[in-house]
Order: sequence, then structure tokens, then C-alpha cells
Amino acid sequence: MEKIGLYLGCNIPLKNPDIEQSFRKIFPVLGIEPVDLLGASCCPAWGTAPSFDLNTWCAISSRNITIAEEQGVDIMTGCNSCFGVLSEAKHFLEDSGRRKAVNASLATINRTFHGTSDIYHVAHVLHRKIGTQKITENLKYSLEGLKIAVQTGCHALWPTDVYKVNEENPFFPTMLRELCEATGATVPHYSRLAGCCGMGGMRSTDQEKSLGLFKEKIVSIKEETDADLIVTTCSSCFLQFDMSQPILKQRGLIDFEPIPTFYFTQLLALAMGFDPNQVASISQIDRSAVIATIQSEDRLIKEVA
Amino acid sequence: MIVDQNKINEAVSTVVGYGGEHILNCVQCGACSAVCPGVKAGFPLLCRHLIRSLLNGNLEEIIEDSSSWGCQACNRCTEVCPQGVRPQEVVFAFRRYQANQLAFSTSSVTSQMNLFETGHAVYTDPREARKKVGLPEETPTSAFDEQAKKEIQTLINNSPMGALGLF
Repeated sequence: MEKIGLYLGCNIPLKNPDIEQSFRKIFPVLGIEPVDLLGASCCPAWGTAPSFDLNTWCAISSRNITIAEEQGVDIMTGCNSCFGVLSEAKHFLEDSGRRKAVNASLATINRTFHGTSDIYHVAHVLHRKIGTQKITENLKYSLEGLKIAVQTGCHALWPTDVYKVNEENPFFPTMLRELCEATGATVPHYSRLAGCCGMGGMRSTDQEKSLGLFKEKIVSIKEETDADLIVTTCSSCFLQFDMSQPILKQRGLIDFEPIPTFYFTQLLALAMGFDPNQVASISQIDRSAVIATIQSEDRLIKEVA
Repeated sequence: MIVDQNKINEAVSTVVGYGGEHILNCVQCGACSAVCPGVKAGFPLLCRHLIRSLLNGNLEEIIEDSSSWGCQACNRCTEVCPQGVRPQEVVFAFRRYQANQLAFSTSSVTSQMNLFETGHAVYTDPREARKKVGLPEETPTSAFDEQAKKEIQTLINNSPMGALGLF
């Protein structure tokens, strides 16, 4: 089985370990063995070292990458920010002067960056290495008839010149749509598909501006798709959709019930029959009704004799 | 407006020094601002407008503006810039200038402390939540790894971040 280094980041293992558990459940079934990157730290997040000093950013990122290099594996991240930060740091380290300076820092902790491990996003591994057909073949429940609005998130899309895997058109992403369609669900287009959800630095700097951007996105989803659920492959987008819909509802700024939101591998784990208490149990918005719908008897896919 | 070449030189060399290497390529077309979520949300000094201010020689004059911290680091601007400016690098270079002058919000200090102490910018005790979902209570990350924490602290202490007196 192909091994890949599971880079966890911060939000997934610390705040939403049910997402981490969904990775650990689905990947081995689909032929990929995630291995732990012991002692890995924050990527580091945009608001930390990248906001102070370029070489310190590169040193902390490349320390994480060396943990994968030592095991001879590539890296798979579930968090878009981690994907962006690690990919960009690796890109900066193509500059030989910078690489020399950063390796001098790493030498103080007995490490050397070689650049031998590639950085992938969970969505890339699912779409490019595993493929939609294998996903469909491993379903226990068909999601036919369910309507999903997808949210790819920013840092898996731009800038295309630093990423290992890219969308054909990053302003019109299709990978997550195709992954969701592999479960049998319908994934309608909406006009703000490539729009930012407002999480990240914007939310911590000015929550009202962040909510303004988010409102435009969520209203576009509701009015144009009337989706049953929202599915994302970004853990930051997940947090924004899950915590900010109830805020807008409470303030009377939206007039519909918050739409249940899942990280894609949570949805897939549910469709593959895994226990919702393990793979989809932490959220502000009550997801129990849609989980029951997903794992209902009449969706069971009959085994072909 | 009085344009002072010395001030322009200072602003440009500061931004270049902090990583905004291609700022002088900018022709003020505004493609970056057209796709920027921060501009759309209403932050006054991002992308084209920030570059314009810097190229007019404003640096200290705008140090208190928080727009750069509202940048999502999404790099839409980098993708569409026809001049190879990589506007996000300019925004981040300006942010680094602010950070190194300690001109940033106190709320941001928490993430720096978390990173230094646990290796995670965002940290909450995960043990109960992890147990509930059937995972080992301790993460395989730096949070529960003394050697890893020591490595992170060494890297930060020996960097310009370590010289700011935050830790």
C-alpha cells in the first residue's frame, strides 16, 4: 500500500479530531496508508512567522518537511492554509541562497532540508491518486438525490506556480465537485463558487468585514442551489460555515436555517458506513438529521453477487 | 502632494528587504484589487492601493493601518498580476515591516505565544475531544513532544522574531 505522510496542522487534530479520524478510516480502505509525521508543528500559520520573517517561516516549514523526508514519504495536508504555507515555503527554498541560509538555521537542530518530499492536499490524493471510480466502488450508501454546495477554499487554488497539483482553471474549480458527484449526489453550480468565505486573517482582524463576505457567499448558495448540505476540503472554511451561519441567523441577517456543513472526508466516511460518533460528531450546527438521511436503509447499495 | 525621492527609496528598499522584491514592476492596473477578497470586504490599504501608497513614499505614515492583517494570503492577486509583482508578497512585506516595529494588534500576540510554547498557533487541549472520537488522547504533533517543542523554540529564539522580546 502506498504510504503518505499525514500532516495534521492545528485545527484538525486539536479542534476537529473527527475530521482526522475520517482520514484515518477512509484512506487505508482506498489503498493509501497515512503515516504520522511525529513531532510536526504548525505549518506555521500566516499570522505567525510568515508575518515576521521569511527565513523563519521557511525554517519552521522545512523542519516539518524534513520529518517526511526522513521517512521517504510525500506530505498530505487536510488544511488549505497548511497546504499553501508549506508549498510556498518549498517554492522559496528553490532559491539557493535562501536554502543555504535556512539550512544553516536547521543545522542548529540537526536537520537538513533536501526538497525530496512533495506537498499534496487531501483532495489531490483522493482525486488524482485514488480517483473517483474507486471512491464510488467503496460506497455503502448512495447519496443520490442529495444536493451539495461545494467550497474548495483559497489556498488549494492560487498561486498555481507553486503547487504540485492544480485545477485546470483555479477560478472555476471542479475537483471537489467531481469527488462529491462520485458519491451519487448532485452538485449544482453557484455564482460565488470561487469566492472567499472570509475566515483566516480577515476574521481575526475585522469580524464584521469577514461576516459581510461570508453572508454574500452563503446567500448565493442558498438562493441559487437550495443545497441540503455544504461540503468543503478546507478546515478553515469548515469552521467559518459551521460557526458563522448561526451568528447570521441569530442576528436576523439570514432567514433560513443554517445548512449542515461537512469536511469532504467526513461525508465520504459516512457514505462508506463509518460511525458518525467517530467521523462527524463535532459541529455547532446540528447535523444529526442529514447524517441519518445519509446512512438510511433505503440508500444501502446492494452487493453485486 | 510633495513627492520626496528619499522617502520613496526608503519605502521601496524596506519592502524589498522584507520580501516584496517585485514592487517596482507595478503599473497600477488594479487587476490585483479586482480579485482581492480583502478589498471587496472594505479594507482600505491592500493590493494596488497599498502599492500606490508605498511608491508615493508613504511608509511610517501608514504603519498603524490594519489592512495588511486582513489579507487572506489567498494569492488571487499573484495569479492575475500581468507584471509579476506578486502583490501578496508586497502586502506581507509591509506586514513584516509593521510586525518588526511591533505595530500589530495585541490579539495576534496569543498565536505567537502558542506557536512558541506548543508548536501550534491555534491551541486548545484536545484530549477529551480526541478520546470521544476514538483517537489517542495525545496528538502525534509537537504539542505532546518535548524534543519537537525545543526545536521550534531554538528556531524562533535564533530568528529576528526572537529579538522582538515577545517570548
